[in-house]
Amino acid sequence: MATVTLTKVGKVYADSAHGSVRAVEAVDLKIHGGEFCVLVGPSGCGKSTTLRMVAGLEEISEGTLEIDGKRVNDLPAKDRDIAFVFQNYALYPHLTVAANIAFGLETRRLHKSGLIAALKGQLSARRDESASIRARVSEVSRTLGLDPLLTRFPRELSGGQRQRVAVGRAIARDPKVFLFDEPLSNLDARLRIETRTELRLLHRRLAATIIYVTHDQEEAMTLADRLVVMHQGRVQQNASAQECYESPANRFVAGFIGTPPMNIVDGNLKDGVFTANGVSISLGAERAPLGARACALGFRPDRVRVVGHHAPQSITATLAAIERLGDRTDLALDTAWGRIVARLDADLAREMREGEAISITFDSEHTHLFEPGECGRRL
Amino acid sequence: MKRNPLANAILWLVLILGTAAFAFPLWWMTVVSLETPQRAEAAITGSSGLALFPPSPQFVNYPDAIRETGSVPWMGFVDALANSIVITVLVVVGTVLSSSLVGYAFARLRFRGSRPLFVLMLGTMMLPGQVTMIPLFLLFRQFGWIDTIMPLVVPAFFGSAFFIFMYRQFIAQIPESLVEAARIDGLGHIAIWWRIMLPLCRPVTAICAVFTFIGTWNDFLAPLVYLHSDEQATLAVALNGFKNQYGGLEDVHRLMALSVLTMIPCILLFIAAQKTFVEGLARGAVKG
Repeated sequence: MATVTLTKVGKVYADSAHGSVRAVEAVDLKIHGGEFCVLVGPSGCGKSTTLRMVAGLEEISEGTLEIDGKRVNDLPAKDRDIAFVFQNYALYPHLTVAANIAFGLETRRLHKSGLIAALKGQLSARRDESASIRARVSEVSRTLGLDPLLTRFPRELSGGQRQRVAVGRAIARDPKVFLFDEPLSNLDARLRIETRTELRLLHRRLAATIIYVTHDQEEAMTLADRLVVMHQGRVQQNASAQECYESPANRFVAGFIGTPPMNIVDGNLKDGVFTANGVSISLGAERAPLGARACALGFRPDRVRVVGHHAPQSITATLAAIERLGDRTDLALDTAWGRIVARLDADLAREMREGEAISITFDSEHTHLFEPGECGRRL
Repeated sequence: MKRNPLANAILWLVLILGTAAFAFPLWWMTVVSLETPQRAEAAITGSSGLALFPPSPQFVNYPDAIRETGSVPWMGFVDALANSIVITVLVVVGTVLSSSLVGYAFARLRFRGSRPLFVLMLGTMMLPGQVTMIPLFLLFRQFGWIDTIMPLVVPAFFGSAFFIFMYRQFIAQIPESLVEAARIDGLGHIAIWWRIMLPLCRPVTAICAVFTFIGTWNDFLAPLVYLHSDEQATLAVALNGFKNQYGGLEDVHRLMALSVLTMIPCILLFIAAQKTFVEGLARGAVKG
């Protein structure tokens, strides 16, 4: 269990064509011992680069990285005591599963190869070490249910099995920090959800510090003790999954976290009344102090309610598409505010037909207001 | 897959003719090696027709040829065989190790000037051997290496441009994450090359080893230039001794017998390595 601290960490790539490219900018992050921290964001947001800087696979251009309070910026990857699970697993194709799991242990053993050991009279020490490596491999393989696969080669395994071997290789060494780079993205949907649960259980059992990178916000939310949302090389929000969902720090986080994504409408606020495209809704007296300004209104699809025609505070909508998901139904609505997505209980939507006109509203206490712009702050 | 029978027949005909064209010299060599001296000479000079089978095979030609190789009976052959084996093994090992190491560096290390260096290295392939022969000879004479195996063996440990290129192309398509995983596992570049890359490059290594083996084993010119004394001669050079020693062609049956013997290792090696070999050639072509 180790604490990982990033202070103003940045990554600049020298690029002869464009001068330089800033991939990661001033990332401040403190990951406590035993915490499951997930970096999430769209591709190119700098999450993988950040992870690779922690691993030592990528040089740190600016700032400080500390593991357990010790500055490790210039420490090579092998000396940082971390384990890395790659997206494509990176299993050694010419080694069996057992040898793959043992590989990291063997390269770290104190007593070198047989011949040198014999010359130095260390043979018995080496034998003890080999025995302890074997014991560790079988312990790990039991934990992950890899026993029947130990003598196989990676090419003989399914995707899910390879993924488990990659995890096994990581835990065999009992490192201070585990780093996962999109480890589930090569698995099919069903297996991904199963493995997600397994990873969560494994985390609890190992009580390990984990930094995990994914672009899948649902995966991120289910796994994370702490969610770090990144965009354009910057941390947008660093909080629990629930907090990111309920009070997103800015418009980007609001739109990224949650499925289906939050409805966000650009418009104007004046005296607590939000107007867009000629249609107004009062957001209540507590929004009045915000004054008159351009802003964006956000509300989650599951906060949308269907009301009777011409009810006060309602918006008229045409049902463009209905997606029935069993327990709930997603509606795509065409309104004066553009396309709005609503999520209803399946029972409420049972009688609805595409093309029908309905009226909708939402509770003003469940709305969010953002400053204009892609990453506009929440007001 | 269904083929037009006529196309099939033509294909077979072409293949049979091609095989015959390549197999005939081998067969003829074997036939002559089993003839009597008179019939062998007649066959070579073309004063008699070609026999597809020798009427009375002279198997004694083989021990005779072995005995007569070099200047010392029996031992001349043993010497030449030993020289050939030592030189060939060293050259093969040297070429595989150095070419794969340099190929790894060109594929995976980013260093200033790596591209110009790579192009320069490829450029050396354009130089015909004849151009470098005399300067190299003068250089090795300065080193005092004439009549030792050094000029034949040492250059192999500095890589061969063609095989470096092959290794580089192969290594470049091995996923970078394997190298990164190895780095995290605590391996340096040399260890990554030895423990990860070399095992994965087996098909390339098979090609490199077989080509280098055949090239070195059959090489006549380089040993002739650098090795002057009888004790240093390789088999290929010793073969030539049959002509010098006796002049003319009266010993051609022995020359052929020793040629057959000399070829055996190459054929065995090719058969043994064939599977890996073809796999590697195919992989080089379609990138797998």
